[in-house]
Amino acid sequence: MSPEGEEGRGLRRRQLLTGGAAGAAGVLLGVGGSAVARSGSGPDSRDEVDLDRTVAFYDQAHPAGIATEPQRYAVFMTFDLADGATAGDLRSLLALWTAAIAQMAEGKPVGPVAPPGDSSTGTDTGEALGLVPASLTVTVGLGPGIFDDRFGLAAKRPALLARLPALPGDDLDPALSGGDLSVQACADDPQVAYHAVRNLARIGQATAHTRWVVMGFGRASAGKHQQTPRNLLGFKDGTRNLKTSAERDQFVWLRGRGWMRGGTYQVVRKIRMHIENWDGDPISDQEQIFGRTKVEGAPLTGAEEFDTPDFARRDAAGRPVIDPLAHIALAAHENNGGVRILRRSYNYTDGLNAEGLLDAGLLFIAYMNDPRHFVTLQTRLGASDLLNEYIQHIGSAIFAIPPAPRRGGYIAQALFG
Amino acid sequence: MTDTSRSLLGLRPAVLAAAGLAAYGLSAGTSLAAPAAAPVKNGASQVSIKLTGNTCKVDHSTAKAGPVTFRVTNVSATGITEVELLQNLRIVGERENLAPGLPASSFTVTLDGGRYTVYCPGGKPENQPFTVTGKAAPSPGGSAAQLLAAGTKSYAAWVSSQAEAMRTAVNALAKAVNAGNLSEAKKNYVLARPFYEKIESDVDGFVMPGFKATDNHGNLDYLIDMRASNIDKKVGWSGFHAVERDLYQRGAITSKTKSYANALKANVGTLVTVVKKLSYKPEDLGNGAAGLLEEVQANKITGEEEAYSHIDLVDFSGNLEGAQQAFANLQPGLAKIDKALAATVDAQFTKARDALNAYRDASSPGGYIAWTTTNRKKYAKKLSRAVLALQRPLQRIAQKVATGT
Repeated sequence: MSPEGEEGRGLRRRQLLTGGAAGAAGVLLGVGGSAVARSGSGPDSRDEVDLDRTVAFYDQAHPAGIATEPQRYAVFMTFDLADGATAGDLRSLLALWTAAIAQMAEGKPVGPVAPPGDSSTGTDTGEALGLVPASLTVTVGLGPGIFDDRFGLAAKRPALLARLPALPGDDLDPALSGGDLSVQACADDPQVAYHAVRNLARIGQATAHTRWVVMGFGRASAGKHQQTPRNLLGFKDGTRNLKTSAERDQFVWLRGRGWMRGGTYQVVRKIRMHIENWDGDPISDQEQIFGRTKVEGAPLTGAEEFDTPDFARRDAAGRPVIDPLAHIALAAHENNGGVRILRRSYNYTDGLNAEGLLDAGLLFIAYMNDPRHFVTLQTRLGASDLLNEYIQHIGSAIFAIPPAPRRGGYIAQALFG
Repeated sequence: MTDTSRSLLGLRPAVLAAAGLAAYGLSAGTSLAAPAAAPVKNGASQVSIKLTGNTCKVDHSTAKAGPVTFRVTNVSATGITEVELLQNLRIVGERENLAPGLPASSFTVTLDGGRYTVYCPGGKPENQPFTVTGKAAPSPGGSAAQLLAAGTKSYAAWVSSQAEAMRTAVNALAKAVNAGNLSEAKKNYVLARPFYEKIESDVDGFVMPGFKATDNHGNLDYLIDMRASNIDKKVGWSGFHAVERDLYQRGAITSKTKSYANALKANVGTLVTVVKKLSYKPEDLGNGAAGLLEEVQANKITGEEEAYSHIDLVDFSGNLEGAQQAFANLQPGLAKIDKALAATVDAQFTKARDALNAYRDASSPGGYIAWTTTNRKKYAKKLSRAVLALQRPLQRIAQKVATGT
């Protein structure tokens, strides 16, 4: 090929690359703009998925992906910092992750997919090119290990961040538990969520090792404008979830003057369900276990889903209508000193287990301003819940979720000030 | 097999050249007065680069020849994580891992008079001209390009020495096989393997004279190292792994084993003459080193390479040594271009070697524990992580040292 030929070809390619990228970004921004205007629409639009929608990431009162109405898919991954990683490595990782999340939340690649040069590797892996933002949120958490003696950050440990105590019924697999960092990526397109986690893992490849991952689908929690979805046991999940900002202010967000103000704590449990056994259980028994009807989701003391359960009511024979050991009875704030947490769970499946049974369950993700609230609830549930015959807590982790980063800054920047 | 990129064919670097030239044309046509040269402080011209939104702003577009410090601040550019200074198509200096909120970071390079390009991947403008006037004293110890060129020559000599050592070891293996001595043959198999593993990244050049690269009849890598899982029926199977199967799985030396060993001996002899004629570009060493680690991840940690003898960790060690050798030959030049990257890779090599050393076992053939299914289940994840941590920075080297010609 003649030098002129090469040059000409090079120029065309360059124009295509930059022109294409700019064009795509323009389209996304344009559509995103109109989507923002639409997104506040009323109950008619409930459960409508607008794939063009973007969720603000920077300069928010609280981190994205928590009060955000649950998207349809999630990928949750935890990481361990590599042996010998320093505070500087952690800082650099958090800053690079923040920048990448900001890009992806707007539907942009984290960097060039095909940079020039025969020896170049792409900065972004490319599989989300041409896909829309799909309400992607990425929520980053710091595990207790971040504040051990490795990074000199012990003095900045969020006050209530500590490994969860052993709880009744725990059957935890260390390979499905813990982690120094967590990444919760949620989007209405599973490939968008996966792309996010994959690229963050790649950015961290030399610093943070992957620890465990769960791919979630069929959100098992609802936002204010959403219908209550169902978990894989076929029951509505999250009917009594926290839904208003006043409730979140009370139970989710951290107050006070510390660097975590506006952030929260994240508790994650991987809960395996014994699907085949459950499916063979009579509906009346299933309803007794939950304390709700299966189809409507009404408490056994009511007729409609949002009727308040009456835990005191007894039938003609004098027995409680809702079994005191039913799932909703043990979990109810009325029976737990008013304690409430924000649940933001997803269903998951890992295919088949070694015995050929369906391997599936709930990726329980909850946010709260005091992890002891989860401990209170799970202590009761783990010990007595009628549902325990059909479920198994196999994974567990806790993280502090720092407040939303400001533009030009990065997540948990206050740690390194 | 390792799929290393053979060499730069000039397509994508031409993109840069064209973009750079276009930028010069524009600036020459529109500039009215000569821009001020960057101020000199502590003996180095000071150029500030600020990344804001999606823009890449360079405060001075000219400097006097000599040391030039580029100080890069990422104010709010989430899509720009690196900045490079290019001359022709070569990277002469760069900073990576830039993100909003991190302190400003800088790189200093000694520049001779000429035209350069500041390249902000993903930024606007992506390429902008940078002119250096005057003449700089030669860089002590030579320029990055000179150091890299010297590194490729010394690497080529090392590859030849390894091929020669392999010929000696393979001759001993063939002798033991021909004598029907199973234990002696196994011993020599283990001794011969690492030599190939050290240099197998250069297989693109392992082609017999007169053959096309696609014809396995003349593909020395195929003939020497093909595994049972991937046989070309037209050519058949011989080489190391055919011998391995007979020695370890069948536990017997037959006349076929002897023919495999004799073919291996002949082909390794040819390889020695072929590698002596090979020359390398710096990016070949970078790509080769990265390719060897891909080999480790794909075939050694999985236990596929040495399916019968289970000496995969011996091969792993060979791959690692080959990669480290290539890197060591690039290191002096790379350090002039990106000191931080050179230091990171160096440190990760040490960590990977330490991780592998944990599985040394003097009583096992080859000096490492047998890579059995049980051991793999126990230890593979740890090794894989150590390699992964090295792979990512190592994969970036080829682009940094690319000659661009």
